[in-house]
Amino acid sequence: MVRLPRFFGKKRGNRQTVSHAWGSLGEAVFYSLLLLGGAVYATVVIVGMFWPGLRLGLWGLGAGGGAPAAPTVWLWLLNLFLPTALLAIGVSGIYRLLSVLGKSEERRAAAVTIPDILEPVAGSAEEPGYPAVPTCDNFTNSPGTVLDFRLPIESPESWALLGIGIFAVLWNIVLVVLGVSAGVDLAGGRTDWLLIALVAAFASVGVASIVMFVRAAIAAARVGPTQLEISSLPMRPGGRYELLLSQSGSGTFRSLSIALEQEERATFRMGTDTRTERRVVLSREISTWQAVELSAANRFEARCQVGLPTDLMHSFTSAHNSVDWRFVVRGDPVRRRAFTRVFPVIVFPPRMPKPPGTARIHDEAVER
Amino acid sequence: MTPFEPIIHVDFDRPDHCYMPGGSITVRYEVEGLGERPLLAVERSLLWYTEGKGEEDIGVHFFDRRSSKTDAAKDLETGSFTAVLPASPLSYEGVIVKVRWCIRVRIFFSSRDAVPELLGGSRDFVSEHVFEVGTVPPAALNAGAQSA
Repeated sequence: MVRLPRFFGKKRGNRQTVSHAWGSLGEAVFYSLLLLGGAVYATVVIVGMFWPGLRLGLWGLGAGGGAPAAPTVWLWLLNLFLPTALLAIGVSGIYRLLSVLGKSEERRAAAVTIPDILEPVAGSAEEPGYPAVPTCDNFTNSPGTVLDFRLPIESPESWALLGIGIFAVLWNIVLVVLGVSAGVDLAGGRTDWLLIALVAAFASVGVASIVMFVRAAIAAARVGPTQLEISSLPMRPGGRYELLLSQSGSGTFRSLSIALEQEERATFRMGTDTRTERRVVLSREISTWQAVELSAANRFEARCQVGLPTDLMHSFTSAHNSVDWRFVVRGDPVRRRAFTRVFPVIVFPPRMPKPPGTARIHDEAVER
Repeated sequence: MTPFEPIIHVDFDRPDHCYMPGGSITVRYEVEGLGERPLLAVERSLLWYTEGKGEEDIGVHFFDRRSSKTDAAKDLETGSFTAVLPASPLSYEGVIVKVRWCIRVRIFFSSRDAVPELLGGSRDFVSEHVFEVGTVPPAALNAGAQSA
C-alpha cells in the first residue's frame, strides 16, 4: 500500500517544516503552471503575429475579423518577452526539481562538492584547502604603514550616516517635485491648499533629515578615522600578534579600548521573513587607555599584543551560519556620543603536520 | 505486525570517536534485520552539518553510493571505508551555531511496497553516527571580559 507523505516533517531541534515531498509537489505544480501559461501565451502571440485574422486576440494582438493594425516589431518583441520569461522559469524550475528527484540529502550535497569547471571563474569565498573557512584575500591586500597589514573596517556609524544621507536625498527630491508643482499652481493664479499643506509637512521632515545628516556627519568627522594594523595574517590558534591602533580626531576621550570578539551568526526563516541572529560568545579585552588627548597634530597611536588560545574555534562560514572573529575598538569621547569600530579578521584552524584530505565523491550516476 | 526497522551498526577505528583534522578515519558498518528484503542501494557518507538556530547547512567530504546493479547483496549489507579528514571545519558546540561531523549510512529498498511499515512508508532508512574533529571546547555565553 502506498502511503501519502506526511504534510509536516521534523526539523532538527523542536521545529517543524512542511514535508519535502509536499513541497516538491507544490513546486512542480507551480512551475508546471508557469510553463503552461507561458506556452499558451506564446502560442497566442505567435498566432496573432502570423495569422492576424484568427480570433485568438489577447491584449489587442491578433484581434481578427477586421483589418488589424499593423504591429511594429518592437511591440511583438515586447509581447514575446513575457511568455519567454514564463517558459524559461518553468523549464528551469522543472529541470531543477527533476535533477534532485529521489536523491538523498547527502547525494545532492556531494554533487555540489564535485569540482565545477566554472568555479575558478566564479571565484570562491572559501579558502582553498580549508573547507568552510572564509578566504583571507580581502584582508591581506592592504599593507600597513608600520605593521604588515591594515585591517578593513566595519563602522556601524558609517552605515547609519549613509542611510540617513540616502533618506534625506530621496525625501528632498520628492519635496522639490511637490514644491515646483505648488509654485506652478501659484504662478498660474491657482491656490491648492491641500498641496501647500502637503509641501509644508514634507518640508518639515526634509529639513529634519538634513539636520540629522549634517549632525551625524559632523560627529563622524570630529571623531576621526580609526586604523588598526596587525603583524601577521591569517591568525591561527596559539599565535601571538602585534597590533597598532591609530585614532585621529580632536578633543578628549574618557576611554579608548580594543577587544577581540567571537560572534556567532545564524540565518533562519520565520514564516516569509528571513532573519539573522547574532550572538557574541567570547569577548576578550586586549587593552584600554584612559584620558586620551587628541588634536589635529597629535594622532593617538598605541601598540599592544594579543595571544590566541590554542583550542579556539576558527572562522567558519556556510550558507546560513557563521562564526566570525573581529577586533572591536570602542571610544568614549567627552561631550560626544560613544562609538564602536569593528575590524573583522580571519582565524584559520591550527597548522597540520601533513596535508589534509580532499573530498572523495563516488557516485555511479556522476561517473557515468 | 512487528514494525520493520533495520539496524545499522557502525564501528569507528577510535573508540572515543575523537579525530584530529588531517587524520585518517576508518569506519566499518553492518546492516542487520533486513530479513528477505533486498537492498537496492547503500550510500555511505562522511559529512559535517550545522545545528542550532539557523537553517541547516551540510558539507559532504566523502560520499560513496553502491547499488545492487554493480555489487552483490552481501557487499551492500556490510562494508568499510577509510577517509582522510580535511583541515576544517572543526566540531564546535556554540550557543546558536553548532558544527557536527557524522557518518551517515543510508539504505534504499527496491520499492515502497516492499517495506510499507518502514518509517511511514519511506523507501530509505538512514543511520547517523556523530564523531568529533578537533578539540574545541564548547562556547559559553558571557565568557567575555577576559584578558587576552
